[in-house]
Amino acid sequence: MRKAWAVCLLELKKVFQKKQSYFLMFAMPLIFTLIFGGLSGDGSSDRMKLAVVDDDQSTLSKGFLQSVKENELFTLVPESKQQAEQKVKDKKLGGMLYIPKGFEEQMMAKEDPKVVFKHGPEFTSATAISQMINQSLTKIKMELAASLQSSRLTGEDWKPVFSAITKETSTASTAVHKIEVKKGKAQSKLNNQSASSAGFSIMFVMIVMMSVSGTILEAKKSGVWYRMMSTPISRFELMAGFFLAFFILGWIQFGILMAATSVLFDIQWGDPLGIAVLVSALLLCVVGLGLFIAGFVTTTEQQSALGNIVIISTCMLGGVFWPLDVVPKFMQKIAEFVPQTWAMKGFTELVARSGGVADITLPVAVLLLFSAVFLVVGMSRVRFE
Amino acid sequence: MVKRITFSVQKGESFGLLGPNGAGKSTTISMICGLLPFDAGEIEVAGKSVKKDPMSTKKKIGVVPQDIALYPTMSAKDNLVFWGKMYGLTSAQANKRAAEVLEYVGLKDRAKEKIETFSGGMKRRINIGAALMHKPELLIMDEPTVGIDPQSRNHILETVKKLNQEGMTVIYTSHYMEEVEYLCERIGIVDHGQMIALGTKQELCNRLAGGTVISLQLNEIESEFITFVKELSFVEQVVSKDNTIEIFVTHTNLAIGEIVGKAVTSGLQVQAVHVQEPNLESLFLQLTGRSLRD
Repeated sequence: MRKAWAVCLLELKKVFQKKQSYFLMFAMPLIFTLIFGGLSGDGSSDRMKLAVVDDDQSTLSKGFLQSVKENELFTLVPESKQQAEQKVKDKKLGGMLYIPKGFEEQMMAKEDPKVVFKHGPEFTSATAISQMINQSLTKIKMELAASLQSSRLTGEDWKPVFSAITKETSTASTAVHKIEVKKGKAQSKLNNQSASSAGFSIMFVMIVMMSVSGTILEAKKSGVWYRMMSTPISRFELMAGFFLAFFILGWIQFGILMAATSVLFDIQWGDPLGIAVLVSALLLCVVGLGLFIAGFVTTTEQQSALGNIVIISTCMLGGVFWPLDVVPKFMQKIAEFVPQTWAMKGFTELVARSGGVADITLPVAVLLLFSAVFLVVGMSRVRFE
Repeated sequence: MVKRITFSVQKGESFGLLGPNGAGKSTTISMICGLLPFDAGEIEVAGKSVKKDPMSTKKKIGVVPQDIALYPTMSAKDNLVFWGKMYGLTSAQANKRAAEVLEYVGLKDRAKEKIETFSGGMKRRINIGAALMHKPELLIMDEPTVGIDPQSRNHILETVKKLNQEGMTVIYTSHYMEEVEYLCERIGIVDHGQMIALGTKQELCNRLAGGTVISLQLNEIESEFITFVKELSFVEQVVSKDNTIEIFVTHTNLAIGEIVGKAVTSGLQVQAVHVQEPNLESLFLQLTGRSLRD
């Protein structure tokens, strides 16, 4: 294996000799993580903002808005109607909730009150928010009915009763208690920064690893492959050399990115053994994919084009750029056939749920299966003559 | 494709494979090196079968490919050390041998510079050096002087001559007749995948039916004139291409007078006359009707 080691060291030296390698391997993923991880954030300050315009300014409209405010989906920002419309138009706010004059009168007349929820076509949470608004309206109707009934029985004005009821229901503790459990239940998803770190690390490791196919094509083009095959090195030693080089390279890249994101973005990568197993399985798969592509292309131009298409499309499908639960069900099904999906599932187990090696058995097994397929097909198509 | 090529090279001998581009020289040596499979016949290197024991034969061969098969972004020394390791040298052995090889090819002072900064000739020298790292018994060189300046070419030819004089067996392929004539004791001429002539330079030149070739360049060629020339008793063979006629003759002075005189009386303009002594180029021309550099 001395010859394989020599091939491995040479390939590593070639990569680290180029200054642009450092930029592609380390700077780019960190920049992407910083930009995209910070874009949507996680805190309440980053929640969706909706303008609210209350032209009725009545007890009921205020009660209704109070009920709406209790949600955790968005924050209400009071605006004038004109300003609100402009801000929605300019996409500065996700949408506006407009309560026209006559809201209370309609409620008192037992009519369905008119409430306008206006949003842009790209506003993906519109359905959920509409449902939430309807629930608040139903709640207000019930509270109003209770207040009116009480007023009829006691002869008191309904408004103090209504205020008392709404205050009571808003502060009443719910029957279901939310308990934060460190592992397993409370957090089923990676937060944005963690997801971006894992996702962009995967993507840029894949981009660098794709050079496996480029290296072989380049060697064939320059005549180095011819000379290599004329030396007493076995095919196994030669391919092991390339494979080892890119596996080590991938680990160096992933290791540095994990350390950097941990320091810069305070990301806790979880169980080190679990990470070691998952990243190793992922790298086997990615290097295998590089070899697989090398088996199907004949020029560096083809390799570059096909490699980029494969990486970008599978990263999109595999939930590297956005969580998979925002895509339709059939896309989620397709994603099952993409290695990145399983890598992200593994990272979710380790990072978000503080899982261990046992928790990532399935993602690791699937990644190893992908690796086996890529390696067998790739190796069978590499021409040594 | 090559077929029915048979030759043997003795230990310490320098053997040349001469032929035009596409003749099958590279294919032949690729098979000797175990790089291309062959469906019939047998190749042995130092008594070992290339087919049955390729690893053993590869250890004995040093190959200088036609391309500059080096890593351009690595230094000359790093390249040599790497190729030494590929031939099974340890790191220490490879470093020691790299220094010797750099001295041998005259690039010791450029050891740490990247190959991409070298001239074509210097790259060719390192390309040869890489094949010498493991002190091979047989050095196979595939057109090692393609595309370089005359000075580097001479340096390479001198290096190969010296290696052969020191006892290394050499197989040298080229389509440059002069290089093969200068370096090789025995020569095989290859064309269309077949060995069309084999022997020492003298043996091959003796095969020429007409010893001398008269090359006549005319403003045009008439079939009547060709017929006249072919019927002359001292003319062995006539090959015409474009406006040039190559005539293989046995009596040079007599032939020049007769042929040029006939051309003038036929109203043809004689633009140039060359007389060429028997050599491998004329043998190839006689055997194939084509020039080596066609």
